[in-house]
Amino acid sequence: MSEGCIAGGMKILLLEDDVETANFVQRGLLEIGYDVTAVHDGHDGLNRACVEAWDLFIVDRMLPGIDGFQIVTKLRARQITGAILFLTTLGGIDDRVLGLNAGADDYLTKPFAFAELAARVAALGRRSRKVSPELQLRIADLELDLLTHTVRRGTDLIDLQPREYRLLEYLMRHVGQVVTRTMLLEKVWDLYFDPHTNVVETHISRLRAKIDRGRGVPLISTVRGSGYSISAAP
Amino acid sequence: MRLPRTLGTSSFRLTVVYAVQTGVSFLLLFGVIFWSTARFMRHQIDDSISNEISEIVSSPIASTAQGVTSLVGDMSRHASGFYYIWQDSDGKLLAGNLPAVQPQVGVREWSEKHHLANEMSAIRGRGVALYGRYLFVGWSTHQLLEMSRFVTAAFGWGLAASLLLALSGGAVMSTRLMRKIEDISETSRIIVNGDLRQRVSVQHNGDEFDHLALSINAMLDRIESLMNDLREMTTDIAHDLRTPLTRLRNRLEVRDSVTEPQLHQVLADARRDIDLILEIFSALVRIAQIESGGRKSRFTAVVFDELLDTIVEIYRPSAEERHQSLIASIEPQLKVTGDKELLMQMFANLIENALRHTPDGASIHLTARREGTQVAVAIADDGPGIPEDMRGKVLQRFFRLERSRTTPGSGLGLSLATAIATLHDATLRLRDNSPGLRVELRFALPPILPPQPL
Repeated sequence: MSEGCIAGGMKILLLEDDVETANFVQRGLLEIGYDVTAVHDGHDGLNRACVEAWDLFIVDRMLPGIDGFQIVTKLRARQITGAILFLTTLGGIDDRVLGLNAGADDYLTKPFAFAELAARVAALGRRSRKVSPELQLRIADLELDLLTHTVRRGTDLIDLQPREYRLLEYLMRHVGQVVTRTMLLEKVWDLYFDPHTNVVETHISRLRAKIDRGRGVPLISTVRGSGYSISAAP
Repeated sequence: MRLPRTLGTSSFRLTVVYAVQTGVSFLLLFGVIFWSTARFMRHQIDDSISNEISEIVSSPIASTAQGVTSLVGDMSRHASGFYYIWQDSDGKLLAGNLPAVQPQVGVREWSEKHHLANEMSAIRGRGVALYGRYLFVGWSTHQLLEMSRFVTAAFGWGLAASLLLALSGGAVMSTRLMRKIEDISETSRIIVNGDLRQRVSVQHNGDEFDHLALSINAMLDRIESLMNDLREMTTDIAHDLRTPLTRLRNRLEVRDSVTEPQLHQVLADARRDIDLILEIFSALVRIAQIESGGRKSRFTAVVFDELLDTIVEIYRPSAEERHQSLIASIEPQLKVTGDKELLMQMFANLIENALRHTPDGASIHLTARREGTQVAVAIADDGPGIPEDMRGKVLQRFFRLERSRTTPGSGLGLSLATAIATLHDATLRLRDNSPGLRVELRFALPPILPPQPL
C-alpha cells in the first residue's frame, strides 16, 4: 500500500478504554506501519503522554479516570505539541466543537470505518511535519496558485468553480494520501453530517474532466472503499 | 421533650423574634414617656414652690422674722396644699405643718418612707435661709407617684396583652402556613412515589403561595410532558429499531450452502442495515441534545443565502439523477441568528425529504425572501403531498406514512427539523401546495442595531 512509506516510524499513543476497539485500531495501524501503543485508562494515558515523545494521540471521549476533554486540555496546557485526533461518541454534536476548542486537531465520530481513521491519521502525520505556508501547490505539471486562485496544467489555464477550487486545494494539500468522502464533506462543504447524495462524486468527476481528461497521466485516482487521492505517479 | 410542630416552624420563630422586638420597643417608649412626664411634673412643683417662696419673702408682713412666723403659721392653717417649715438656727420649729428638719438650702425631696406629714406623703420642696433662720416650702409628690404607678401598670398590661396577641397570632399563622407547606410536601411525596399527575392545590387568592403553587404546577406539567415524551420515545425506539434489527437477524441466518459471493452480498447488506440503525440512534441523540437547548449559547449571525446555495449545490446532483428539478429562488443578503451547522442539517433534511417522497420528474422549489421583519423560506414540491389530518403526525418522531415504509430513512428527518426550528424560535408549517407539500419556515430577522455614536 502506498501509505507504507508515509507511515514510517510515526509514534502513536492510543487512549481507548474498550479493549476490543483498541485492539482493532492498534492492529490495523500496526499493519500500515505505525508504532502504536494502546492505553485503556485516562490517568495512565496522561502519564505516558507526558513522559515519552509522541507524534500523534488518538483520544477517546469517554475514559475511566480522566475524560478525553481534560486530557486534551492538559496535554495542550503542558505544551505537548503532538497532533491530537479526538474520538467522539455517537451523535455527539457538541463533543466535536468542545474537543477542537480544547486543542484537538481533528475528530472522528464513533462508530467509524477503519479506512476513515487511517486516512485521518495519515493527514495528521503530514500536517505535523509541515512548517512554512506555501504560496503554490504543485503536482507534476499541475500548479495551483494560492494567492491568485488560478490553476494551470502545463501551459493551460483551467477555469474552476469556487467549490472545485477548494476541493482541488484540499486534495493537493494532502498529496499522496487518501482523503475520504467524509473528510471532503467536512473540509470542502463544511458539512458535518452525511447528506446521502453523490455531491462529492459529482464534483470529483467534474474536476477530473477539467484537469485530467485528455491530458496524459491522470492525477486524481479513486481508492476503492476509502476515498480519493491525488499524486504524480498513481 | 419535643416541642409541638407549630412552635418549631420558622414562622413561629419569626413571631417570637417580633414579639421580643415589640416588647423592647414598648419598654423603651414607656421609659421615655415616664421620664419626660415625671420631669414635667417636678418642674411644675418646683415652679409653684418658687412662686410661693417669693410671695412669702416679698410680702410686707414678712419684713421681720416675727412677721414670717405669723405668716407661715397662718398659711399652714389654711391647708393650701403646701407644706411649710419655719425654724430657727437651733432647729426649733417656729411655724409650719411639718416637723423640724436638718436645714439645707436648695431643692430637696423626701420619699414616702420618711413619714414627714403622714404615712402617704412624699414631699418635694425648696429650702431658703431667711433672717438667719430656715424656711422650707414643699408640695406633696403623691401625684407623681400615683402617675408612675398608673403608667407602669398600664404599660405592663399593654405589654402582656400585645405579647400574648403576637404569640397567639404567630401560632395561628404558623399553623396555617404549615398546612399550606404540608400540602405541597404531601403532593411532592405522592409524585416521588410515582404519580406524576398530582398537582398542588391553588386557592386563587393571588398570594405568594398561589404563585409558588402555580410555578410548581407549571414545573410539574413540563416534567410530565418530558416524561411522556421519553416514554413515547422509548416505545418508538423499541418499535422502529425492531424492524431493521429483525431484518438484520434474518439476513445473517445463512444456509450452509451459501456461496462466497452470496456471503459478501449478505455482509454488505448487513453493514447497510447497521448503518441505518446507527443513523437512527444518532438522530435521536441529536434531537435530544437540540431540545435541551444548550446550543443556543453558540448562536452567531448566519448568512442565509450562502447556506441555502450550498444546500442546493449538494442536492442538485441527486435530483438530476432522478430527473427531478430543484429550483431555487433565494434573495441575497439574508441573515439570521442561529447555529449554522444545525440550520444546514435542517434544510438538508427538508430537501432530502422532498426529493425522496416525490416521483421522478417532480420539481421542488426552494424560495427564501424577506417578509417584513421575518425571513420566509418555503420548500414546495408537486409530489403526492401529505393528507391534512396526517400533517401534525408526520412531525412526530418515527411517524411514517404507510406508503413511505418502503423508502429508506430513519423517520426522524422532520422531527429533527422541527426541533431545530423550535431552537431558532422559527415556525415550521406544513401546507397544501395543491398538488404536493409546501413546508414553510419563518425566522425572525436579527434586530438591526442602531449605529453606535463615536
